[in-house]
Amino acid sequence: MSGRCQVAIIGAGVVGAAIARDLSRYDLDTVLIEAHADPGEESSKGNSALMCSGVDVPAGTLERRLVQRGYARYRVEAPVLGLPIRKVGAILLAWTADEVAVLECELALGREHGFENIALLTADEIYRRWPNFAPGIACGLHLPDEAIVDPFSTVYAYCLDATENGAAFRRRWPVERVERNAAGWVLHNGGERIAASFVINAGGIRADLVDRMAGFQHFTIRPRRGQYLVLDKSARAIHDIIAMPTPLPGYRGILIAPTIFGNVLVGPTAENVEDREDRCVTAEGLAQLRQAMAKMVPKLADQPVNTIFAGMRPATEFSDYQIIPRYEDNWLTVAGIRSTGLSASLGIAEHVANLLIPRVFDAGRKEHATAIRVPDLSETSIRPWQDGARIASDPAYAEMLCHCERISLGEVRDALAAQLAPRTLSALKRRTRAMFGRCQGFYCGARLQSMFEAHEQSLGQRG
Amino acid sequence: MNSLLDSEAEPDVLIVGAGPAGLAAAAALSAAGIEKILVIDRDDAPGGLPRFCPHPGFGLEYCRWPHTGPGFVARLLKTLRGRAVRIECATTLLSLRDGPLAEIVGPRAGLRLLSPRAVILATGIRESNRGNLLIPGGRAESGIMTTGQLQRLAALKARLPNYLRSLVVVGTDHVAFSAILTARHLRLSVKALIGEEDRVMSYAPLAWLARACGIEVATGTRTQSIATAGGRVRAIEVADARGEREIGCDAILFSGKWLPEVAFLCGSPVEIDQRTNGPVIDQAMRTTCSGVFAAGNVLHGVESSGWCAVEGARVGASVERYLRGEMDGAQGQAEFARSSEIDFIVPQRWDDQLTHLDPKIRIPVTLRVANDLHKRRLVLLTDQSEIPLSRRQAFLRQRRAAVDFNNIGGLGAQRRALITFA
Repeated sequence: MSGRCQVAIIGAGVVGAAIARDLSRYDLDTVLIEAHADPGEESSKGNSALMCSGVDVPAGTLERRLVQRGYARYRVEAPVLGLPIRKVGAILLAWTADEVAVLECELALGREHGFENIALLTADEIYRRWPNFAPGIACGLHLPDEAIVDPFSTVYAYCLDATENGAAFRRRWPVERVERNAAGWVLHNGGERIAASFVINAGGIRADLVDRMAGFQHFTIRPRRGQYLVLDKSARAIHDIIAMPTPLPGYRGILIAPTIFGNVLVGPTAENVEDREDRCVTAEGLAQLRQAMAKMVPKLADQPVNTIFAGMRPATEFSDYQIIPRYEDNWLTVAGIRSTGLSASLGIAEHVANLLIPRVFDAGRKEHATAIRVPDLSETSIRPWQDGARIASDPAYAEMLCHCERISLGEVRDALAAQLAPRTLSALKRRTRAMFGRCQGFYCGARLQSMFEAHEQSLGQRG
Repeated sequence: MNSLLDSEAEPDVLIVGAGPAGLAAAAALSAAGIEKILVIDRDDAPGGLPRFCPHPGFGLEYCRWPHTGPGFVARLLKTLRGRAVRIECATTLLSLRDGPLAEIVGPRAGLRLLSPRAVILATGIRESNRGNLLIPGGRAESGIMTTGQLQRLAALKARLPNYLRSLVVVGTDHVAFSAILTARHLRLSVKALIGEEDRVMSYAPLAWLARACGIEVATGTRTQSIATAGGRVRAIEVADARGEREIGCDAILFSGKWLPEVAFLCGSPVEIDQRTNGPVIDQAMRTTCSGVFAAGNVLHGVESSGWCAVEGARVGASVERYLRGEMDGAQGQAEFARSSEIDFIVPQRWDDQLTHLDPKIRIPVTLRVANDLHKRRLVLLTDQSEIPLSRRQAFLRQRRAAVDFNNIGGLGAQRRALITFA
């Protein structure tokens, strides 16, 4: 699997995949390289799944600009890709006079920067609209444009779109060594090589290591772990807005947010950890999450927890994004996309494309793009089992495999047969939502695994 | 009976779940001459959980001698041969409304709304998983699961990753010992059984046997955390009175901590008991939705398969009486309160009009205590009387205490009685 290309993108997280998608619209020979078996295996799978408008990102930063642009693009482009987006709104809660002052200041700043519809709500108004908030709130800043999305399908859709439009995708291709040559760079993985005129490092949690391989040392990744718990769908009757405390500088706090799949998510904690692989959930972390529930929505305390997990934010010593073009070196670093990567992904991709074209590559825009669509996995979409015509034409959509999430045999079969098919069981879960429910596979896990294995075996037989 | 799904004909009785309770209910109903019985099950074959337990110990209360899990299922299915019962697998109950109206979906049924005269909920239980139990630690691609999942993997002959060789079972009730047998079948060595309680929740001799096989049975031991390395389980971290320690293993099975399978009842008129997490029923096994009955493990975790089948037979008889117009579909209004020593009581409600029901029709009052009690006598306190329910005896945690009382009369004008210990 050696080869050469014009642009090699290292890392198929949400950022690398979005860049590959944007570059695939140009007459450019692009390859997207992923160390893991499937796209989106690192920070892109363990986050709050929010699409932020940018209002709570510090003004004047690159992050603010790219989040705003990313949000605007996502709202237009996601529906075309089949990706769900639900504008549920957010509320920042204040309990003390100091916090009220912070929110008043945020309101003024936000309005000044064109976020017209944000508003300060009185406690009475808050309790009237959301009676399940704990007593004691002084006021809240309502951000009606904040939305929830499907983080897993987003990465998949970007990758699928990129590859359908000509980009190559190399999975299980960890870059072990890079080497400069006259034409640019040669990336090594065991005996395989990829030669590229230009390299984009979208290495996420390991972006600093990738930069160091090429001899660049501008920043260090300071992994910040975020623990979460996911409540069962019954919690949704109690809570349906993104709620968070008044933010402290540099930390948004633990939020309680609905998910696009119909659950309620609580998290993240913010812990600086040494080991960037240390995605452990801790007793202390869980205690913090329970405390946040008790403080904001105590009724949620009795709700069953479906799962607990931790994600890793690829923060650096700098507060802003580290998007560093090194034109003379044919290298561009896209790093430090701490916690807004999903929201900013399309903004970052556009920004990167503008840095490269026409300055590095005077590539023309392709006349036609192949449109792709991924299955809408959101709770509010019309699920295949609800679609009489679809069931009639193929009864496999009426045979439930995962009962908690109501995922049919037909959907799992389709996911395995799709382009860029999942190559791990956990990727299959993310692609279909099967095993994501309250039983976490007690019922469907074995069947899903045997379907997955049968598929892997058939791939093996085909070579 | 093909007409049940293929035409407009409605079943008279819809039984949800083809495990021991559902199949025994179907057998009882059809033996009594009720026709048009439809049993749906979401799995691809009937039998429920015993299907995946190929070892002895099943059906004892229902049959004369014990069977293996699959053997008991075969026995139940044999009874139904030639009867007016249709079993439709791979078919799911989506929702239930007043009527009763039941929305189902399946490859042969399609998506449709049934309006049977009676519905029997026999959907059983599942085990709590790591997330439900909030056990911290790392994540693993495979190697952290429930016993049920492992047993299904074994039944489907799915390939386990080669690196899975040893496992630790969290829990000490019957299913934990069943897990040992499944693990042996899969050539996994069981290193330990870990239980928080100060004794084994299953029968003591099973623990002696396990120890004789070199398996550590650690009681009074809390599961603290799961240690992982490179996406694999490395060890389980536990703590007891002597302190904390690690037990190295490649897989961790969470067993027991049963939860009734009632997700489809969310938003339905069937009231759920916060203690059992199952439907609230009265002695005739009627739920709060008229015409909807419930039996078996969906009522509370966990009873043996034989006991569930006996309950299935009882609910069948109760539904027959209802269909013949001899009993109302609405639940009794009186209710039992429990003292704090009691974890839960089933049935939760009582119908004063049905105090002399044939024991074949009604469910005995079954309760579980929160902690082991010795030499205590159970009593029923109404505003008028104190009725002894048991002799002085031991009540053990996680063991069924079934009290068969029928002649207590009504629960008095307060329509409320306290079950407590004297």
